[in-house]
Amino acid sequence: MQAPVADQPTPAREPWRRRLMASLLYGRSVDRDAKTRARIALTVLIFALGYTVIAMRLVMFATAPEGHGSRRVIAPDAVATARPDILDRNGEILATDVRTQSLFAEPHRIIDVDEASELLTAVMPDIDAAEPRARLASKRRFVWLKREITPEQREQIHRLGIPGVGFLPENKRVYPNGAEVSHLLGHVNIDNQGTAGIEKWLDARGLADLHLAGLATDRLQKPVELAVDLRVQHALRDELIAARARFKAVAAAGVLTDVRTGEVVSIVSVPDYDPNNPREALDPTRINRLTTGVFEMGSTFKALTVAMALDSGKVSLKSAFDASHPLQYGKFAIHDFHAQNRVLTVPEIFTYSSNIGTARMALSLGIEHHKWFLRKMGQLERLRTELPESAEPLVPKRWAELNTVTIAFGHGLSVAPLQAVAAISALMNGGRLIPPTFLKRSEAEALALATQVVKPETSEKMRYLMRLNVEKGTATKADVKGYYVGGKTGTSDKVIGGRYSKTKVLTSFTAVLPADQPRYLLLIMLDEPQATPDTHGFTTSGWNAVPVGGAAIARIAPLLGLEPRFELPPSDKLILASAGAR
Amino acid sequence: MMRVLNICVIAALVLAAADVYTIKFQSTRQAQRVAKLRLEIRREREAVAALRAEWAKLDNPARIQDLARRHLQLLPADARQIDPLDNLPERPSDLVAVDEADPIGSAISKPDALDRSVIGSVPADAR
Repeated sequence: MQAPVADQPTPAREPWRRRLMASLLYGRSVDRDAKTRARIALTVLIFALGYTVIAMRLVMFATAPEGHGSRRVIAPDAVATARPDILDRNGEILATDVRTQSLFAEPHRIIDVDEASELLTAVMPDIDAAEPRARLASKRRFVWLKREITPEQREQIHRLGIPGVGFLPENKRVYPNGAEVSHLLGHVNIDNQGTAGIEKWLDARGLADLHLAGLATDRLQKPVELAVDLRVQHALRDELIAARARFKAVAAAGVLTDVRTGEVVSIVSVPDYDPNNPREALDPTRINRLTTGVFEMGSTFKALTVAMALDSGKVSLKSAFDASHPLQYGKFAIHDFHAQNRVLTVPEIFTYSSNIGTARMALSLGIEHHKWFLRKMGQLERLRTELPESAEPLVPKRWAELNTVTIAFGHGLSVAPLQAVAAISALMNGGRLIPPTFLKRSEAEALALATQVVKPETSEKMRYLMRLNVEKGTATKADVKGYYVGGKTGTSDKVIGGRYSKTKVLTSFTAVLPADQPRYLLLIMLDEPQATPDTHGFTTSGWNAVPVGGAAIARIAPLLGLEPRFELPPSDKLILASAGAR
Repeated sequence: MMRVLNICVIAALVLAAADVYTIKFQSTRQAQRVAKLRLEIRREREAVAALRAEWAKLDNPARIQDLARRHLQLLPADARQIDPLDNLPERPSDLVAVDEADPIGSAISKPDALDRSVIGSVPADAR
């Protein structure tokens, strides 16, 4: 074969097989060098692209180091949901989470059900032997055997080495103060979901959604600060438990609010329950009487009637009303408990707690004015607070003159006691109605929420009347020296079977302290107090609720940081004189 | 020329690979440490929470009141025991002589002998 000549290559010179390959692969008239270079360039480009992608992925991994891996580690924790701590106003813990272990099983991995259940019941004698057996034999993939086991039990079960049985950490809610703050806090169920009180409110505020999403696993949630003061709460509860025992009352309740902010500093209703054992809460006698119950507040309501009359401008402190004989209304006759049988001035009506006088006062202003005023004071609608449990007031469907007569002295209209407290706070603090709250609130925030319901002058006159009632009225037993207490008593006959009972009463005492510069309002309520030798057979408020209120104030006031002041002039000099000077 | 360049590039590649390997190794170790520390922090936090719960339980006012009633002779504070600083009188001159025993100091040093009526100013009718 001849060597091919470079300058005149002829395809014909090449062997036929090569020619065939060339024509099959790249055609006959192609510059193979150029083609090769283009191919190399293409290869380089593809590799360059590949490496660029790898480099970029590396950069991405470097900048975002936490991917799915870390989420998977936390997942087992998410079984029971974390809740934020609840603190009192001084930062004391009222509710917190602690970590416990729970025992679970995967039945399909259990080899010998009988052996496994025998071993487990040996370690945990407190559970019924049939129960783990039934659960282990079930077809489900996952069953709880026991929630919240002790560390010792966990260790023992771990040593048994039963296949298909494991532990999951869970959060358990604990209330270190037991029954002390029960009604306010509420409680949670076994899955750490709030079922009552502030706990339920927390869930309603978005915590439940977090739990559903499995995100609330962290215990670093911001704690919730309540307005309640644990020390005051304890002191008030201690006094109320003692009072309930002393007067053999069905129940005793007390609430202390800051009149300037509407914060509820203490709320006690005994009998109460231990939130660590929520089953007790099902007992209907243990309800929170201050928000969940409605009551006819009795003479306490006279404060509202008198304030309405004074605020209308038609009645002054010097006005007089005829209380010389019972007020006849159809077949009803309204009597006075401390009957004076003469014409009484407004301060006398208040201090003798005259039913006739207040009824006449309300009648002089008319039904519509009375309704309008009570609506303005928030007594006719349900009071909404953070607590999910609330009760609707029982308002008469047809409001006739007789209703105005009885409601004027606190019968015929049932309201939640906290509702009455909010209204009387407004009469004390200069006329601003502030919705009560269980959370911490500043004075500026309260001012933004407040509505002016009565004139500041009316408020001053009301404080004078409250103080006067302690100086020489029905509430003299609550005159705690140094704190210038003002107060109004209330005794209402309970309705038993549709009729007013003559023997069963609900007594209450509303106190403001100090009366000249109001800071706190205290309400004490005793349900069916019995007469004792000390009370000379009486069951009216002045003999039970008032001394209890006095004892509670003497104990609570130093805790609240109120400075005691002695040798203050009587109310007509101190409060009324400053009101007149304006 | 080309060969020298190639050798240089290969050397650089080997060096870079070695460096990347050490960095990777270190980062793995750091990540492990981070995970371990995180776990420790979580355990510590849980322990702190458990201790705080325990503390709150021991610090409960009802428990303290019970203990105080049983072991102390103190009474609840009375309003008359609180006085503003303005009412504080001037310091009396030499109530106790220099070489004499201090009555309050000696009373504090023997707590068993303490009579609650001499500490503070418990009013007579509160006793």
